Amino acid sequence: MAFFRGEEGSVKFDDAGSSAAAITSTRSWSLTIDKEVLETTVMGDTYGGNVGGIVTGSGSVELMYTASSGDETAAFVDHINTATDEGTALFELFLDTSGAKKISFDAVVTSADLTATVGEIEVVTVNFTTNGTITTAI
Amino acid sequence: MAAADLNAIRATVEGRLATELAGSPAIPVVFHNMAYEPTPNSSFVQCLVSFGASEYLGQGLTTNSQNRIVGLVVISIFSAKGVGPGANFTIGKRIRDLYNRVIVSGVYFDAATGPQALLSAAPEGYFQTQVRVTFEFIEEL
Repeated sequence: MAFFRGEEGSVKFDDAGSSAAAITSTRSWSLTIDKEVLETTVMGDTYGGNVGGIVTGSGSVELMYTASSGDETAAFVDHINTATDEGTALFELFLDTSGAKKISFDAVVTSADLTATVGEIEVVTVNFTTNGTITTAI
Repeated sequence: MAAADLNAIRATVEGRLATELAGSPAIPVVFHNMAYEPTPNSSFVQCLVSFGASEYLGQGLTTNSQNRIVGLVVISIFSAKGVGPGANFTIGKRIRDLYNRVIVSGVYFDAATGPQALLSAAPEGYFQTQVRVTFEFIEEL
């Protein structure tokens, strides 16, 4: 049995959707995977019935602003400000440092919060909603 | 990136003070683990730098990761006893201005506290005030 701590996590991203590169200075990430529930209960049933429906995901990545420009970080922070978002940006959320345990998907960036608070490190939070298949290699 | 050199951070903090107090009017300054025999009825400054607990900042283990290192510089200002606080606070202003919200060599100095007068000086025979400044450094591994 193995345990993992949050500092083992990391994030990769590619706005072109092909080859993901590391995002620098990530502080946290989160992903919620939801499944619709379709009711199958019919007249005469005593107990309700349900089956699973469409699976979708949404989440966020929090990073410390470093003005990094030599990698995908700048594109990641600025992706919200694109005129047309086809939802093809590739996200890879890693659970450990081996690179094997990850969740990957294409997604639409739905919002970005940039904050500068006196006495604190400037932080950017990028929120996203998945588009299509969510691959969980965990 | 590399692990933080705490001795270099200490030198940054202390060097800034040593340079300032070497200027006119020069004030003797003493640091950790240094012998000093004060001259009666004259002013001198003691600067003590210490580091506190570090904390995680960014994800990643020993590469592409960041830690926050915090520290405290306590600067005691000693001046002649029985002649009022003016001379002491004049030195205090020089020192406070030196660190107050300054960023130098990656060291972020917070808003300075003091000069605060102490009821009893150590060593005795002086009027003592303290300026305290917390600081932080972002370690990039």
